[in-house]
Formats: sequence, C-alpha cells, structure tokens
Amino acid sequence: MLVVRLAWRNIWRNTRRTGIVITAVAVGIAGVLISMALNYGLVYTMLDTAISTDLGHVQIHARGYVDSPELARMLPNDGRAALRAVEDEPRVAGWAPRLRSEGLVSSPYASVGARLVAIDPRREASVTLVADSMVDGDYFADEPRRVVIGQAMAKRLKVGVGDKIVISAQDLEGDLAGEAMRVGGLFRTASRELDRGTIFMRLEEAQAMLGVGVGLSEIVIDAGSRVEAEHLGDALAAALPTLDVQRWDELQPMLVYMLDATEQSAVFVYLAIFIAMAFGIANVLLMTVFERVREIGILMAIGLSRSRLVAMVVCESVFVTLVGLLIGYALAVAGWYWLRDGIDLGGFAEGLNAYGMASTIVPVLRIEDFTVPTAVAILTALLASAWPASRAVRLKPAEAVRHR
Amino acid sequence: MRPGPRLGLESKLAWRNVWRNPRRTALTVAATVFAVVLVVFSVAMAAGVHEKMIDDTVRVRSGHVTLTGPGYLEELTLDHHLRLDAATRSVLESTPGVDGYAPRMVSFGLLSEASATRGVLVIGVDPDREEGVTSLPTYLKAGRFLRGAAQRPMVLGERLAKFLSVDIGDRVLLYSVAYSLESAYDLFEVTGIMRLPEAQMDRSLAVIDLIDAQSFFVFGDRISEIAVLASEVDAVPSLVLSLRTRLDISKIEVHPWQDVMPELEQILFLDDAGMYIMLLILVIVVAFGILNTILMAVLERQRELGVVLALGLSPASVFRMVYLESLLLAGLGLVAGLAIAIPLVLYFQAHPITLSGDMAQVTELFGFEPMIVWKLKVMNPIGSTLTILGVAIVTALYPALKASRGRPVDVLRSL
Repeated sequence: MLVVRLAWRNIWRNTRRTGIVITAVAVGIAGVLISMALNYGLVYTMLDTAISTDLGHVQIHARGYVDSPELARMLPNDGRAALRAVEDEPRVAGWAPRLRSEGLVSSPYASVGARLVAIDPRREASVTLVADSMVDGDYFADEPRRVVIGQAMAKRLKVGVGDKIVISAQDLEGDLAGEAMRVGGLFRTASRELDRGTIFMRLEEAQAMLGVGVGLSEIVIDAGSRVEAEHLGDALAAALPTLDVQRWDELQPMLVYMLDATEQSAVFVYLAIFIAMAFGIANVLLMTVFERVREIGILMAIGLSRSRLVAMVVCESVFVTLVGLLIGYALAVAGWYWLRDGIDLGGFAEGLNAYGMASTIVPVLRIEDFTVPTAVAILTALLASAWPASRAVRLKPAEAVRHR
Repeated sequence: MRPGPRLGLESKLAWRNVWRNPRRTALTVAATVFAVVLVVFSVAMAAGVHEKMIDDTVRVRSGHVTLTGPGYLEELTLDHHLRLDAATRSVLESTPGVDGYAPRMVSFGLLSEASATRGVLVIGVDPDREEGVTSLPTYLKAGRFLRGAAQRPMVLGERLAKFLSVDIGDRVLLYSVAYSLESAYDLFEVTGIMRLPEAQMDRSLAVIDLIDAQSFFVFGDRISEIAVLASEVDAVPSLVLSLRTRLDISKIEVHPWQDVMPELEQILFLDDAGMYIMLLILVIVVAFGILNTILMAVLERQRELGVVLALGLSPASVFRMVYLESLLLAGLGLVAGLAIAIPLVLYFQAHPITLSGDMAQVTELFGFEPMIVWKLKVMNPIGSTLTILGVAIVTALYPALKASRGRPVDVLRSL
C-alpha cells in the first residue's frame, strides 16, 4: 500500500509534465473511441437497413430455398404448419407472409429486371419499414392492381404514381405471365439495391398471376430486437424441424463478417496509438527516475526492497495511463452523447446507400468497446515502465545517495 | 545597432542541446519514427488499395472513361445511344493515353431455364475488343468467352448459372423488350461461365455478342456506351479533357469513372477520411511527446537560459534556439522514419499481400479482390513531411516562448 501511495504522490510532483502525458493519452483514447463508435455506427446502419427493409429477424422457408430460390420451392401445405407455429409463439413481435419471384418490369421507355415481392400490405408493415418510407403516392390504398416500387426504379422506367407498367415473370407452369399494373406509390430507403430492384405487389394478385394458389415462399418475422432473434430462431427451428428457420445473420453472414472485420481493425488502431503513447510515457518515467536518483538511493538505503521499487515505478506508469484512460473515456462518452442524434452525411448518401448504409450515422458505443483499449493500455503501461524500472533497480544505494 | 540573428551559433547550440540527454532524445525520435513509418505506410496502402479498387471496378463496369449518348447516364435506357463511327474510332485510336476501347450495349432481360427465372443485366460486347479493355474475359472459369461455333453464345456469372442450374452447352431463354418496344425472346447457348468477384454482379450478369445483342434488341448499329481504358487512373482527368475537345460532344458525352460510379468515389473518400482522422490522432499523440520533451528540456535549463539572457543573448535568439531544437528533434525522426518507411513500402509495393478470413470475405462482399497493394505516390512522403513539420512548428511555440520570456533577474536570484 505504501508503494501505491508513494507512486500516486510521485506522479503529481510535476503536474505540468504528468498533465501533458495524461492529455496525450486522453485525447488519443477519446479520438479513437469516437472514430470507432462512428465506424460501428456505419456498420450497424447496414445491419438495421438490411433487417428493417427486407430481411426481418428470422425467416422461414422450405428446405433449400435460400440456396436456390425457385418459385416452385414454396412452403409445404401453403405454409400452414409454419403459420401455426408463428402464431403460437408469444415472442413473435410481428410476422408477414411473402411470395417471391424474379421478373422484368417494363414501361413504355425501359425495362428493368426486378425481384417481385408479393406481400400482405398490412402484415408486412408490422415487420419491415417500407410502408414508412413512402415518398410519393400511397402504400397499397384500396384500388386493386397497384404496385409499390422504389423511387430509383421509377426514375429508370420514367414512370410516376398512376402510370402503367407491365410485369413479366415465369409462372409455376414455366410459362411467361405478364400483367399490366399501375404504380400506386414510390418508396425510398437507405438500400440502393431495394430501391432499384424490388417491386412490391399484393399477395393475392401475385399468387393469381404466378398460378400458385395460396402458396408462400417465406414468412418473415420481427423478433423485437437482434438479441431476441436468437432465442426466437431456436424456438421456431425446434417447432418446425422440416423447414429452414434462419436468423438474419445466417441469411446474410456478410453483415456479421463486416462487424468482425471492424472489430479486428479496431485492435490494430489501438495498438498503433498506444505504441506511440508508450514512447511518451516511458520518456517521462525515465526522466522522473533520473531526477530522483538520490531519493531512490535513500529509499533503498532505508530498506525499500528492489521488488517494491519496481512496483513503485510500474504503479506510476499504470496510474498515469489509467488517469488518461478514464479522462479519455469520459470525453468519449461526452462526445458520443453530443453526437447522439447522428451525423448527417447526406452528401455521401449515394455511396453509403450503394452499400446498404444509411446516411445519418449515429455513433455506437458499447460496453465491450472499452475492453480492448483498457487491456492495451495496461499492457502499454507495463511495457513503458520496463526500461525506467530496470534503470531504477540497477542503482546502487551507496552511490545513489551521493548523487549530486 | 541591434545584432542580427546569429543562426550559426543558435543552430550549433540547438544541436548540442538535442544530444545533452541522448536517452530522452532517442525515445522522442523513436516515437516520431514510428509515426512517420505508420503514416507513410498507411497512406501508401490506401493509395494502392483504392487504385486497385478503381481499376478492378472500371474493368468490370464501363472503363476509366465512358462514352455515352446524351442523357444516357441519367436514365440508362436504350433511347439514349451512340454509334461507333469512323470519326469516333479514329479519335480513340489517335488520342494518347487511350489504352483500349470497347463498344457495348446494355439492357435488362429475364433469363429462364425450366422453372427457374431471373432478371439479368444483359451486356452485348465485341469479344475481340473486350479482351484487354475489360476484365470480363479474365474471370472466365470454364468454357469459352463468346467464341466458337455456337449460335448466339452467352457467358454467365457462376452464381447465376448455378441458380438456373445450367452448364456449358445448355440453352437458356432470354426475354426482354426491344428498342422497337416489341417483346423479344430467343434461345442462347451457354458457352462460358465467369466467376465475378462482386456477388451481386455474379448473380445477375449475362454477356452476349454485340452483334447478337443488336439484332435481339432491334438496335441496328447503335450501342449504349464505349468503355475506354486509360493508361493509369491518375491520367483520367486529362484524358477526359482531351477526348471532350476532339469528339463531337453534341452526340457523345465523355464521362470519367466518377460520373458512372459516384458511389465508389464517395466510399473511397469516406474511407480516406476515416484513415486520416486516425493518423491525425496518432500524430497528435506523438506531438504531445515532442512537446513534453522540449518543455522538460527548457524547464530543467531555466537557470542556464537565465544566465545566457543575462549575458546578452537576445530573447529572440533564445526563442530561435529552442525552436530549432524542436525542429531538429522532429527532423531527426522524420529523416529516420522516411529512411525506414520508403524501402518498406517499396518492398510491399513489389510484394502485395493476399487476404484471408473475415477480411477477405468483407472485401469480396464489396466486390473487390481480397488483396492489399501499396503504392508510393510522390505526394505521400512530401505530405507526411509537411504534416510532421507543421505539427512540430505549432508544438514548439509554447516551450520556445516559455524559454525566451524568462526574466534573467528572477532566474539569477533563484540561484
């Protein structure tokens, strides 16, 4: 305890010097934490965009549908077993049935390939956000034969609300089915892929057009949160052993890789910043050891053991680093709070949306984001004290006390 | 008469001061070296990786420079077209900096085989010209790139072929709407399968012969775009300018890759911004280290400085001396840093690294080859030098002022 108290007092003997080292550590840590928080924010907007516009938390398909999503691979028995399981499961926050296919959408001016997603408009709104992302027209009002398409697709087809488009797709028999429909509304989301390439139809109309009776391709489920999705996915998988029940991270493993890669790069960044700090910390400790040669000699002469002397120097290093670290954390949390409404990168919307990221970035600071810098900081403190400590123990008390 | 700056004396003093505490100097210089190496290395890596991303992407898409009919980029429909006439051809062949060019026709269609159907991007290419301009032929995994005896040959992305369960020799039905607005459908024979790095593209790209495309879409001798390959990415702006002056711009628009893929430019910019913020934090941390060293050096010499001032050295001289000391400290780190960083980067420039694991998956997700390459541009060491010196100039201000402000009387009294 004595050593700890000594070390604590020692670091405050030269407040200016200690202050500069602490400031360096604090500024470095706060800067990296905030930058990483924004980085995570970017990745999380990617997850959230994917989940909230299309993916949902959990999806149920017929066996093998995800690998080869053919129209014919519909849920067995029109999805009755799956629907029953979903309705019996209290943790389901919302669910929606879908029928999916690929088709060609044509206007008098152009044709584009499109994913046909046939939905029950009311149910779909309980799972995904398309209904809330309308920029023109409306989301499946009363008239029949209306479709909802992305603003980007409408621009390419040169159509607006009320205009006629022709949807062509292969039906269950393998024949080409074509239907003329009108554009009922336009949506705009943070996903360029969705905005350019997806057309939402009414479920019954698509079922009739594709000749599938009341068949369904998938059931999308909202679990309330990503954490809940895990338990819900397991429960549904147990209830439906003959179907494929997959969570968002199983459907889009890339999103998880993205998060992992960001975490890995964070470790490199922290290492780089802390190595740079280690030089500064070591330098100051070295100076304090050399200007205290006499004092250290006296301490040794009156019986401070070498191991406690090392402990003292190490403690000084750890204190300086930890005080800097804590101030850095406080600054980072303050910065995070200050930026809690997000940074608007609207000027880069095109680039961000192309990769499914929203253009408003809300920094994400999680408890686990503090573990890596804390670990690296302590490592740095130990490393930085190695040289000064080894110089200190090599002093000979008899000579040191006579030092000028 | 006031004495002028005695730079000789001041710099000599500064140099000696730097070496008064070699240990401290060594640690400070080491920190600077570390920062310089990291900055030069990261900037060269970003430059290399970004240039490769641009090159990879433009070779799959529409070249470094894309020639289109007026208004094509806004709407991407067949209504906006151009022709590769003799005049255009001769301009492209005579303009320096053009490494190659390829005419293309781009549209959408539905591709089906048995019960599987998929909306696809149909690109009609001239197989002879495409070679060497775009990388599509190099992604061929099996079969041939549109050559051979097959009637209406087609090359598909691997994932698309798998989805349709087709293989080389199988026939697929392409359905679309022609330029004449009539329905168009015909059978094509799969002659080759490509493995494209970008998954989205691999799932949706069908390449056919330009001649077949023009007859399928009733497009005559029109084309959608001409992909032009520049000798290097940095030469694109000047190439765009010279093509704009030489081509008939009432019929042909000349677009640099940034016009065709604004999203790529923005993503690269954001990536750069993120990196520069991290490097700035690193440089600030190192700057605090230099500040501390100089400040300590000044504070422990207060008496000496007082004596020097009392002996008649002007405060301006003391200021310059301490300032020079900081710059020497930073300069030493800079020179040593560059001496390590430049050979290091040049080594990696010659030996790129292939990624594996999560990092590889992520780069592939974004459609790029999982490879890290380095490129040392002249601006990199110059910019790094200016940054470090700039930071040193700012940080040195405080200790230098502190040193020159000391009143000799006070200092001497405290002796």
